[in-house]
Amino acid sequence: MAKAKEFLIPRPEEPASNAPPSAAAASVVGISKRFGKASVLENISFDVGEGEVLVLLGASGSGKTTILRIIAGLEMPYTGKVILHGKDVTELPARERGVGVIFQSYALFPKMTVEKNIGYGLRIRKRKRKEIKETVNELLSLVQLEEHRKKYPSQLSGGQQQRVAIARTLAYKPEVLLFDEPFGALDTQTRVHLRREIRALLKKVNVPSIFITHDQEEALELGDRVAVLNVGHVEQIGTPFEIYNHPATEYVATFLGAANVLDCVVRQDSIEVGSAQIPATLDKAKFKPGDCVKIVFRPEDVSLHRGDLPRSTHPRLANAIIEEIAFVGAYERVRLRVEAGPEECKTEETPFYLTTETPDRKPSKSIIATRPKPEASATRLHVGERVVVALTSFTVLPPQGGKGAN
Amino acid sequence: MSSLVPAMRHVRGFDVARPLSIGMLVFMMLPLVFLPLASIFIFGTSNGLDKFWAALTAPEAIFALKLSMATSFWATVFNVIFGLFAAYVLSRYNFLGRNALIVTISLPTAIPTAVAGFALLLLWGPYGTLGRLLAPHGFQIMFTAGAIILANIFVTFPLAFGVIKPVFDTMSHSLEEASATIGATRWQTFWHVTLPSLRGAIVSGALLTFARAVGEFGSTILVSGNLAGRTQTAPLYIFAKFNEGQIEAANAIAIVLALFSFLIFSVLFFARDWLDVD
Repeated sequence: MAKAKEFLIPRPEEPASNAPPSAAAASVVGISKRFGKASVLENISFDVGEGEVLVLLGASGSGKTTILRIIAGLEMPYTGKVILHGKDVTELPARERGVGVIFQSYALFPKMTVEKNIGYGLRIRKRKRKEIKETVNELLSLVQLEEHRKKYPSQLSGGQQQRVAIARTLAYKPEVLLFDEPFGALDTQTRVHLRREIRALLKKVNVPSIFITHDQEEALELGDRVAVLNVGHVEQIGTPFEIYNHPATEYVATFLGAANVLDCVVRQDSIEVGSAQIPATLDKAKFKPGDCVKIVFRPEDVSLHRGDLPRSTHPRLANAIIEEIAFVGAYERVRLRVEAGPEECKTEETPFYLTTETPDRKPSKSIIATRPKPEASATRLHVGERVVVALTSFTVLPPQGGKGAN
Repeated sequence: MSSLVPAMRHVRGFDVARPLSIGMLVFMMLPLVFLPLASIFIFGTSNGLDKFWAALTAPEAIFALKLSMATSFWATVFNVIFGLFAAYVLSRYNFLGRNALIVTISLPTAIPTAVAGFALLLLWGPYGTLGRLLAPHGFQIMFTAGAIILANIFVTFPLAFGVIKPVFDTMSHSLEEASATIGATRWQTFWHVTLPSLRGAIVSGALLTFARAVGEFGSTILVSGNLAGRTQTAPLYIFAKFNEGQIEAANAIAIVLALFSFLIFSVLFFARDWLDVD
């Protein structure tokens, strides 16, 4: 969450919808996969548009690598189809699909120079020597490795090897580029630098790409759209903005950075959290008065006030006691204890020993708020102080998955 | 194989153990290795170089050397190709009996060479299991150069395999997968990606096999018939001449064989690093 503020700056193409920007360049339709009796993928479907970057984001074991291997043809799906530019390639072997895979280990050929590696795809396609030379030169300048052309992979840095791997796949004009955790083996600084470089590169060459990663920051920065995977199924697909600000499920909310989740009850035109009524327009089809649901909000969506809330500002959530204040560089992190959700919706029992601290002995819960530096230095807060908590933005999650409103 | 030997830092001042232990090592090797080798050269050249040269260029001697080289060469070609193939199959696929196969391939080095020669005779010889059926058709491989190649193949069977397989085992699978996604066929992948990584292993496997085959005696003497000028290899020539009391003739060939193995192992020692340089 260290860079929370950074990726909140909306991209120019905002706001996009769930549909890919243009006709699908690559589609996965109803893919499932089993290893023995264990089901690793269940009915996965998504499209990647022409020139679009889709990120598959998931924890290890979410099945993201398996999806990539199925698209590449290195693994057979149990059911479902893989379609590349309108052609069903499910039955084709890897070498006839024309996809480019960038492996985490780069998988550069150790006994070939940079030039030879890049030209490999064209050499085995029996292209003319002159054509190969021209393409290799073009790609070398595209990935800025001209002076390293005669070197062997072991003489290059991780980032340089990665760029050779990309150039090697671009040489034969792949239908789609597949990146298998491409920055996993690099240190943080190189990783951040390289992913910006690669995003710019992908926009230049306009090849549809699928990245897989477990790093949410990377996903938000790289992707035109992000698909969040959880144990073999897609939780949500959307632009980084949508995924971050309007998570469809609790998993998405908590996987993408810090999120506060509280129980609440749906009322007419509002939701009830603790003793507060927060006005909300909810989809009548999904939310019925009396439903137990969850409200999700980011630490930066919390605003803290001393004394009463000024009129006509953001809705009040609760009164809270400050439990902890920590300085974490770019901002200040405050842990607060607030009243927990309504009695009727208690999903988990708050153990008695956790509640004894609170003065009124009502069930309570910790939430996290962050305050930017200027605000933190303008109004200093102290541990033990009572404040009023208001929300600048929040999402209500429907009872079972599906998309909420705010 | 690098010369970076860590210094013994825990000893202060002059380390007496150093010259003592080195001297001890050389002294122990003196009667065991150095002196026997040296005496070949001393004896072989004691009657003058022209005598030595005459012994070396005797037609039978030349023939024996040529036969040794030729039979060893073909055995090496076969065993390197076979070793590559066997290593590929046994490291890429897992199947029932895989371990049994690996043990069987490695077995021939453990079998006494005389037993190996005897076994070949029992199979291919005029009264052997297969030989009996083939003899009436005029097919007789025993007591020919073919028999020597067969014996060489048998006794050097696991050498190339043993060097190549570990390299296969440690080779990253993603290289071959990458090659496939780029569009290469299995054969192209093998030729352009897999084989180059095996370069060092193939060369050292071949040299080991060749060196071992050139020196083979026990099985060769049984299956070749030891016919001078027809099926007599260099080691058999040394043995025959020694038995006839022609020490000089035996000695000349012995010098050639000794120099030859020295050469091969020098190449093995220095070329391995060079071949594996990326």
